[in-house]
Amino acid sequence: MPKVDGSPALRGGGPPRSPRIANYKIDARLDPIRHQIAASETLTWTNAGQSEVDTLPFHLYLNGFKNEDSLFLRSSHGAVRGAHMSEASWGYLQIESVRVAGADLTGKLHPPVPPPANAADDQSVVELPLAEPVPPGGTVEVTFQYMAQLPEVFARTGYKGDFHLIGQWFPKIGVRVGPPGAERWECQPFHVNTEFFADFGTYDVTLTVPNTHTVAATGVLTNAVDAGGGMRTLTYHAEDVHDFVWMADPYMDVMSGQAKLDDGTVEVRVYYRPEQRDFARRHLDAAVGSIEKFSAMFVPYPWPIMSVIDPPVDAAAGAGGMEYPTLVTTSGDSVFARPGIRLPEYVTVHEVGHNWFQGLLASNEAEEAWLDEGVNEWADARVMAELYGQRASGIDWMGWQAELGALRRAADGGTGDNPSPIATAAYAFVDNAAYGEATYVATMRALQTLEHTVGSQRFAAAMKTYARTFAFRHPTGRDLFGTLGTALGQDLTWFFGPVFHEVGGLELALRHAECRPKHMSRGVFGDGSARKTVTELEAPDSVTWTCEVIVQNTGPLHVPVDLELRFADGSSQHLRWDDRGLGHWERFTLERSSRLVEVWLDPENKIALDNPTTHHHRLEGDGSAALRAGAWFGSFAQTLMQIVGP
Amino acid sequence: MPRLGLGDLIGAGPRAVSRYTGTLLAVFVAQSIIAATCMVGVAFVLAQAFAHLPMFDEAVDGDLVALIYCVRYGKPSLVATGGIVLSAVVLWQLASWFLVGGLGGVLARRPEGRGDTARCFGASGATTYLAYARLALCSLPGWLIVLFVFGTGTSLVAPRISRALTVPELLGPLAVALLPALLLLVLLWTVSDYARAELTLRHDTHDPGVIVTYLRTLAYVIRRPVTLVHSALGWLVFALVTAAYAYLAQGHPMYGAEGAVTLFVARQGVALLRMATRVGILAGQIELGRTRPLPPRRVEVKVDPKT
Repeated sequence: MPKVDGSPALRGGGPPRSPRIANYKIDARLDPIRHQIAASETLTWTNAGQSEVDTLPFHLYLNGFKNEDSLFLRSSHGAVRGAHMSEASWGYLQIESVRVAGADLTGKLHPPVPPPANAADDQSVVELPLAEPVPPGGTVEVTFQYMAQLPEVFARTGYKGDFHLIGQWFPKIGVRVGPPGAERWECQPFHVNTEFFADFGTYDVTLTVPNTHTVAATGVLTNAVDAGGGMRTLTYHAEDVHDFVWMADPYMDVMSGQAKLDDGTVEVRVYYRPEQRDFARRHLDAAVGSIEKFSAMFVPYPWPIMSVIDPPVDAAAGAGGMEYPTLVTTSGDSVFARPGIRLPEYVTVHEVGHNWFQGLLASNEAEEAWLDEGVNEWADARVMAELYGQRASGIDWMGWQAELGALRRAADGGTGDNPSPIATAAYAFVDNAAYGEATYVATMRALQTLEHTVGSQRFAAAMKTYARTFAFRHPTGRDLFGTLGTALGQDLTWFFGPVFHEVGGLELALRHAECRPKHMSRGVFGDGSARKTVTELEAPDSVTWTCEVIVQNTGPLHVPVDLELRFADGSSQHLRWDDRGLGHWERFTLERSSRLVEVWLDPENKIALDNPTTHHHRLEGDGSAALRAGAWFGSFAQTLMQIVGP
Repeated sequence: MPRLGLGDLIGAGPRAVSRYTGTLLAVFVAQSIIAATCMVGVAFVLAQAFAHLPMFDEAVDGDLVALIYCVRYGKPSLVATGGIVLSAVVLWQLASWFLVGGLGGVLARRPEGRGDTARCFGASGATTYLAYARLALCSLPGWLIVLFVFGTGTSLVAPRISRALTVPELLGPLAVALLPALLLLVLLWTVSDYARAELTLRHDTHDPGVIVTYLRTLAYVIRRPVTLVHSALGWLVFALVTAAYAYLAQGHPMYGAEGAVTLFVARQGVALLRMATRVGILAGQIELGRTRPLPPRRVEVKVDPKT
């Protein structure tokens, strides 16, 4: 029998940290053969707004896997991150009854009216009209009986063999948003690009599972009893979270460690199959380190336990790399992820980081996915650098080193070819690739650029202010921009507007650079008898050089740009071009005692928004590197020649 | 005729290389010229794209991030580079029919002196060139079968490879995927080599047909596994020399234009060693080829009516 956790659901106990609007009590029983969960759920929901509520919308996320008419399967074409939906195992959530104040309202459930655009046949959202409206400040208790049929694991929920990852598995109420008195429901149908958005609350969940299974779940284990028939019942309690997920598997081992924070400790558990033990150790170290770093950078992790699930390798594509409060799944276990190739660590850091963005700062992932994914990406790069060293945060293997953020930017390419700006609703991107590029990497690029522009420490302090202000709330992009502007003491609309709301990136380039020896003017001067022709002899070149450098930015984004000019005598000169509102190009003219040999735009790589390949330019070509590459290719060709001939 | 063993075949290699060192070097120089031309061509193409960009220097020096940026930036140049490499290999393939024919002729007839050796080399290479070209066409179905076996094996084990967690878990499926194709490859390589030897040895006396020669040689190689062992040993030495160089070169970056030249020269040493190995193997194959049963005679024997 598993040992119950002795700790309260919040570290140190204390009063609620969130408004606790949606509170769930769920009693669930897993059928591991049919991969079904029979459950009853009682939701106590509080109307925290200032307008009456007469209809309650509920997410039935599992219906995203019900048939090909679902918005999820239409938008994903049945494939997400290399995992494919199995047509032999549809997933769905079947509500058997729903009661409010004792009255059976099962027959009243209906699809949203009017149906969401492009989702007429989707069943991932239902609405429940109430007999009595819920007044402002009032509460309503809704009881469901339902059966959840899991799909073969796909899009971070389901089963694979005996492994069960049970997420998005219960009727979950939407969120009231909008100005006081004019609130509206936010309850988007399940789309491949949209994750979740829910109110904070408490969860009291009893899980009846085979007594052979190891279980991990959101919250703390408060009770474990034998349920007879080879089953046991485990009770979990979670506070100030907005989701509940669990995992059951008969083969999992557990490895644990402790993250030390300023105000206490967090127990970190990694659940893994025995053959993945070496990777579990790496995940554990990454999880412990990231909890400590994220806590220091933003707000302390508020819960006593963090569970990291390392799914079996054949389930990793479908189950790996997903975040839930106090429980995340990781991935990256592969023979190719040798120690030093930090993909497994990065996945863990990223998913653990989501406990801040959006576990604590619970933004709307459907409308502003960049606010958790992209901000988290930015934070991940910092945390990885702190944990593994700046230069080796991505790769440190066989003499190769690469920084994670730089690697992500290089692999991603530029920002200019995405037809949607960063601040686009997740479901409105042209495709999943555009969503990923804008939401993850472009946001990280933008924040890194701003960080480098205003100074790293100041920016980190401003981000900390944002996190502390909006923890356990639903911040928006506007909140982030406003907080950063206030905390940094400057109007940053010049940056946020074009970077987040406009298509296109920065297209910095050196247009022209040339130095000529300075001399007195030559030519014909004067008229008549005073006419004199000044030739090179009369006006020889002096030892001074006149240099002209023209830089341009043909993209819509404009930020201050540093330039470094390097001269033949080894000296250098720094210039700054602030092109905000001052046109798309600038000409610099200067006189030096030595000729110009190199021009370097953004020498400190502050501007992460542009592709830096052509930023560093030397005026006279040097073919030695090309010759070395040629030598390599020549030898390679010769090896091939010796294979086909003698 | 005594039945030759593996030791005899291997022993024929050093003897041939030491006796016809000049011939070996001549062939090697021809190859080096093509490789050097390839090097210069590639360097020229890359310099056009990158000579003004210091980031390319960093990429060549091993900066992974810079390398990714440069690959993305210079895709057309890299495609051109691939084209140059491919052209060099195809050119060498065409030339090799002449060069292998020449080498085979020299090893078969054992001429004395530079002049005779050169004449023998040229005459043999020219005489057997078209036969070698037809043999290459004739062996194409075999190479396609190798590709099919490789593709099938790889696709069968791909899921296991993608789920491998440890090196042994990787090597097992890799062996399953690669071994059948590799064994078939060695078989077909050996058949081609012995078929060439047969075409060289018997051209003047029997003028054997290419298809018949290929099929007879296939049967012969299967009957004499020593041919396969000998050939496989040659490829093993080839792979070991390459791997040893890669191991020794690791951690010794060579900078600047001098570095490029040093790099190329060091690799020429490796290439020469590998070529000597291949010529040594060819010598053993010629030795064994002499002992094969004679092919059906296709040459018309002209009878002088006066006699």
